[in-house]
Amino acid sequence: MLSGYWIFAPEVIIVVGAIIALFGDLLPGRDRTAAYVGAAIAALAAVLAATGGTAGPMIFGQVEPDEIARFARTGIAALTAVWALWVAGRGMPDERRRDAVALALFAAGGGMLLTMAEDLIIMYIALELSTMPAYVLMGYRRRDVPGLEGALKYFLLAMLTSIIMLYGMSFLYGISGSTAFVELTLEGSGMLGVLGVMLTLVGLFAKMSAAPFHYWAPDAYAGAPAVSVAFVSTVPKIAGIAVMARLLHAVASDVGGLVTIMAVVAAASMLLGNLAALPQSDLRRLMAYSGVAHTGYLFMALAPDTAAGYGAAVFYTIAYAVPSMAIMLVAAEEGAGLADVGKLAARRPLVAWSMVVWLVSLIGIPPLAGFFGKLYVFGSALNAGLVWLVVLGVLTSVVSAGYYFRVVREMFFGEEPAGGVSLERAPAASFALAVMAVATVAIGIGASPLLAALGVVLG
Amino acid sequence: MMQVGPSAFMALAAVLFSLGLYGAVARKSAVMVLMSLELMAVAVSLNMVALSRFVTPTEMTGQVFTIFTMVVSAAEIGLGLALVLAIYRQTRSIELTRMDTLKG
Repeated sequence: MLSGYWIFAPEVIIVVGAIIALFGDLLPGRDRTAAYVGAAIAALAAVLAATGGTAGPMIFGQVEPDEIARFARTGIAALTAVWALWVAGRGMPDERRRDAVALALFAAGGGMLLTMAEDLIIMYIALELSTMPAYVLMGYRRRDVPGLEGALKYFLLAMLTSIIMLYGMSFLYGISGSTAFVELTLEGSGMLGVLGVMLTLVGLFAKMSAAPFHYWAPDAYAGAPAVSVAFVSTVPKIAGIAVMARLLHAVASDVGGLVTIMAVVAAASMLLGNLAALPQSDLRRLMAYSGVAHTGYLFMALAPDTAAGYGAAVFYTIAYAVPSMAIMLVAAEEGAGLADVGKLAARRPLVAWSMVVWLVSLIGIPPLAGFFGKLYVFGSALNAGLVWLVVLGVLTSVVSAGYYFRVVREMFFGEEPAGGVSLERAPAASFALAVMAVATVAIGIGASPLLAALGVVLG
Repeated sequence: MMQVGPSAFMALAAVLFSLGLYGAVARKSAVMVLMSLELMAVAVSLNMVALSRFVTPTEMTGQVFTIFTMVVSAAEIGLGLALVLAIYRQTRSIELTRMDTLKG
């Protein structure tokens, strides 16, 4: 009987890894070794998650490690491994590495559990486990006042929205008499059911920084160290999309008009994110607004409540998270201002060309990961008849090229930043960036078998 | 004897929740905002426990859920106070309106 529980090995390993990293000063080599150990354990968890297979509902139906969960868990663990490797190479600004790596591993463990959640209680606990370390990472520099203020604002808003979400969940539970997703029946509950679903979704929208609830993101990101933003803006998003797919699938048939709500939020996010990103001159702010826009594309795939749409959304989160994390890590090396990457092509040509790959993938140009992500997102929305939304998505993608190419222009034709200090060599960090550049191309090339495994077939 | 139904508890929870929401939005001191958030969390707990009593009196799912949420919100408040304390050490102020180093 117990053999089935091997499927949870990645989560167990990653939490054990977090504890090891936390007590890392007992290891030889101390801080740096702890970060390397964290990276190695996260990589092992990614391999186990990828090869662990899938199963039906387990533990009284509270979790279901299905194909979407397998894909998202692998992505979360792999990205955490790459992030920890970069931290091992370059370190956190002014502070120790090992706590940051331990926090990231805890957050990854929570996120991986979240992708399998089939119950409101599990979902809430996993969501909190994946976001609480993020608050600490955002305010990681103890003496940096803007960073702490950003972290406090982020914390207050995140806590407010999770309580609102919890209030919605209490109604969902009260109406259906159960916390399991499969037993959520809202038929005939009238306004109370709609209220419950709406409150729950508002909490999730804010966590995913979707349009009307996005205003915390640019401020919080602009104050925090770019390393932390690299993690916080990407990894929890993968888990969030996976659990939203599950929850929406459970309630979509009972609540009419959910498609319209998701489509309107998607449209608002795409418009607002892409237009607000245009004038930004801080890479963290730019990527925050770009994140809002990409949440819009993700919601476009979630809106129609089809298996193909959910698969496409989860695939697109990975296709978005890899380049986005990589760009923020480069910003952590070079400086977060747009002028700081000036003439990067002359100083570090390989990094500059990798940046081009990531930016072009975010715009969605073939044959990179972002193109296939967008293709299937748009395709699943088209199949559901959301033509206006797809047209808007294509148009805003063109707008997004405007600000992404501004970064490219700065790297190749910009001016050398004044008083630049040359970076010391950090092979681990360079290797991490190289992995993400290769991954962006490889996910694009391997898109069709990956998507077929996720059950995405476009007619 | 008057019977008190679930709607009475839900109404009380809604009032508490609204009071907390008002406080969280309107208060300027970070500690007051945290206290307002705690009030909202209590309203949610009340809602859940009441619904648990009336909807599933034998299974107590809602009560178990409430215990989990109480633990989590206690941890969250601890984290929030740590952040407030870290800011207070640097700036000697916990007024949210003074926190304008980041442009809105």
